[in-house]
Amino acid sequence: MAVAAAPAAGLPPPPARVVSRRRAIRLFKISLLSPLIVMFALVLMPALLLQLYFSFHQWTVYLGTWWDAEFVGLDLFQEVLTDPRFGWAIVRSLLFATGSTIGCFVFGFLLAYLMYEPFRGNAVYYIIFILPMLTVPVVVAYTAEMMLYQSGPINDILSRLSGTEFKPAWLSDPNIALATVGLLEIWNWTPFSFIIMLAGLSAIPKEPIEAAEILGASKWRIFWEVQLPLLRPVILLALVLRFLEAMAEFPKTWALFQGGPGSATETLPIYIFMTTWQYFQISKGAAMSYIVMLMMIVIVLLAIRLLRREKQSLDKMYEQPSKAEG
Amino acid sequence: MAKLDFSRRTFVQGGVGLTVANFLPGTTPFAHAATMEESTIAAAKAVGPAAVNGMIWSPYLVPMQPVIAEFSKQTNITIGGVQDISIFDAPQRAMAEALSRSAQFDFIHIDSNMIPSLASAGYLEPLDDYMKKANFKIDAVGDYGNFMTYGGNTYGIPTDGNVHIQYVRKDLIEDPDNKKRFADKFGQELKFPETWEENLRLQEFLMDPSKDLYGSGNLRNRANGVTWWYMIYYSAGGFPFDDDMKPTLNTPAGQYAVDLYLQDKKVNHPEANTWGTPQMIPRIANGHVVSCQYWDGTAKLNENAAKSKTTGKWVYGLVPGSDFSGKRIHRSISSPLAAILINKYSPRKAQAAYMALWLGSGKNSIPIVTDAVNTFHDPWAKEHMASPLVQKAYSPGGVKAIEKNFQVVSPPIYLTGFLEFQDALGKNLSEAYVGQLPAKDVLSKTENEWNAIIGRIGRNKLKSDLKSYKAVMPKRLVPA
Repeated sequence: MAVAAAPAAGLPPPPARVVSRRRAIRLFKISLLSPLIVMFALVLMPALLLQLYFSFHQWTVYLGTWWDAEFVGLDLFQEVLTDPRFGWAIVRSLLFATGSTIGCFVFGFLLAYLMYEPFRGNAVYYIIFILPMLTVPVVVAYTAEMMLYQSGPINDILSRLSGTEFKPAWLSDPNIALATVGLLEIWNWTPFSFIIMLAGLSAIPKEPIEAAEILGASKWRIFWEVQLPLLRPVILLALVLRFLEAMAEFPKTWALFQGGPGSATETLPIYIFMTTWQYFQISKGAAMSYIVMLMMIVIVLLAIRLLRREKQSLDKMYEQPSKAEG
Repeated sequence: MAKLDFSRRTFVQGGVGLTVANFLPGTTPFAHAATMEESTIAAAKAVGPAAVNGMIWSPYLVPMQPVIAEFSKQTNITIGGVQDISIFDAPQRAMAEALSRSAQFDFIHIDSNMIPSLASAGYLEPLDDYMKKANFKIDAVGDYGNFMTYGGNTYGIPTDGNVHIQYVRKDLIEDPDNKKRFADKFGQELKFPETWEENLRLQEFLMDPSKDLYGSGNLRNRANGVTWWYMIYYSAGGFPFDDDMKPTLNTPAGQYAVDLYLQDKKVNHPEANTWGTPQMIPRIANGHVVSCQYWDGTAKLNENAAKSKTTGKWVYGLVPGSDFSGKRIHRSISSPLAAILINKYSPRKAQAAYMALWLGSGKNSIPIVTDAVNTFHDPWAKEHMASPLVQKAYSPGGVKAIEKNFQVVSPPIYLTGFLEFQDALGKNLSEAYVGQLPAKDVLSKTENEWNAIIGRIGRNKLKSDLKSYKAVMPKRLVPA
């Protein structure tokens, strides 16, 4: 760390005021982090360790206590990784998370772009746009269920608007059931992307845009060559956060489908829940959770790397004009 | 002192007279035998007052409350806290309680098919001693009382019969025009179906989707559909395990049951593959279904003119049977069967147990099973069947049907790991129903999954459970 680095040989020691300031900064950082560290040590760590214990011990809940569970080494991980249901659950979760993340982002960005320049009455629209995010997911699911029956209002409205009979079986066709939950996820969480993108758009400095306008750039060119590059870190953050959330989606899928029809909506959270609390295979559930956790850590690390790279390229972009000025 | 002088004949006559008089009501204050309910109160008073906590779904609790209030008045044993959890979510919660050996709940109201799993996990208190002290007997129709037993102990008190009965639209099968058309087409009389094949033919013949009238009202979703499959399978002579706990699903009887189960798609609503009771019951009561097997509580709804458009339009009876095994067998089912189970770790288990016995007496539970608003509890006791209140709520035909089906009522997989076994089968049946899995693969795939479950729980453990499962199966092929 630059602030804590020892003074190079031959250089005079920093003044007392600087040393004191550095110490104060360090103390401030520790005081901010310490509640998190304590919580991690007392709450999260024991849970993770217990889960690790169960991943290596086969506990048959009907027959004995957890401390009598038999050590099975990596057998449970092998069982999980060779379980085709788990493989399909990963595929479904990835499809669902990717589709819904893209959907949320596209609509969120469009709304943010419409809203970021203030206009009269924009507060009302703002409230309307964030309302879906404030709706409890289970309520979203049950309300959607009423509307999405084949003979329900959605199909009826779409049929009237299109002038043709439009009757997709949103809730009972195994080929579109996952897409149905995806659409609900998009409706439910577009506001999240909207808020992040709105904050990102509002934070873009005015100068580059004004400069581009003076140079006669079209709106599209300003958007494509000025705003979008500046927004890249924010976009990445919005996509990553939403993707991680979507991978964990459970309430709507469970309330509407419980994994069905057939196994069309058996995503990772559904399968892990069923394995652990429907079949009471605590150990297999723990091994699954660890594998999923590792998967998510890889995704997060990749995202952090990308974010860093984006930040560095932005920093460079800002540095160049100032160097030129210098 | 006057001399007592009477003949031997007079003496004998006097003795006989006194003996007879002794048995005439009102002549002597001879010992009064306490009723089951009085004995329960006496036993409950002996264990002292307490406020017991439970896990129960509110639609089940509400009609019980007046009966509990009477018990509380007499014993000072009251309901303390209640956690309102749906009966479909209760197994997971109960298992979590069992794993943590929690004493949070004194009683749980849950599907009795969870008894083997919860008893194996050490959570359940046997009730036989309490029943003995209270002179209590589960006076159920047929062998239904056996559903509460496991490993020779009684672990539950039923509050809800929940047996499947057959529903057929009377107005449709008695319509002269329909009768004539049916006779012309099949050369047979249009009548109440006795076999699965007859039922399917009737459904196909009478359905008219253009009028939103579908042949079947059976459930075919992933969670519930499997309940219907058991009825067909058992009636074809099937039983899911041999004596060595090897799965015996992939047999001609099993395949016959799968084929019949899947044929329902021809006659059921196109969206039935995800429908549960909230969707299907209103369709039955509002006249969109020709025939089905369904829980008996729907008869109470159908016969309630304030809530139904089909009051008086139904014939109720025995669920269809099968000749597949060479002899006619009928098998109905009861699942979920709501019962009160007592937590072994509870410090108030005695109080909770006596409250359960009080609620489970035939006499006390009549108002519970006849509640017109909260219709979740259905009759199961012999006393219920003779009650005018029950007859009024379910119609005399409905009560007769309930009684008949109870004589051949079966459980789902009554073993430790019930939910695991059931979900594997339910998932594969559901996949076949929506076309994700070929029908011929359902049973072999399920057997493979079941073998893994057996390996995990332990073959020997399950072999000992098998005795309880077989003891719960009905003994009659057809009702008496």
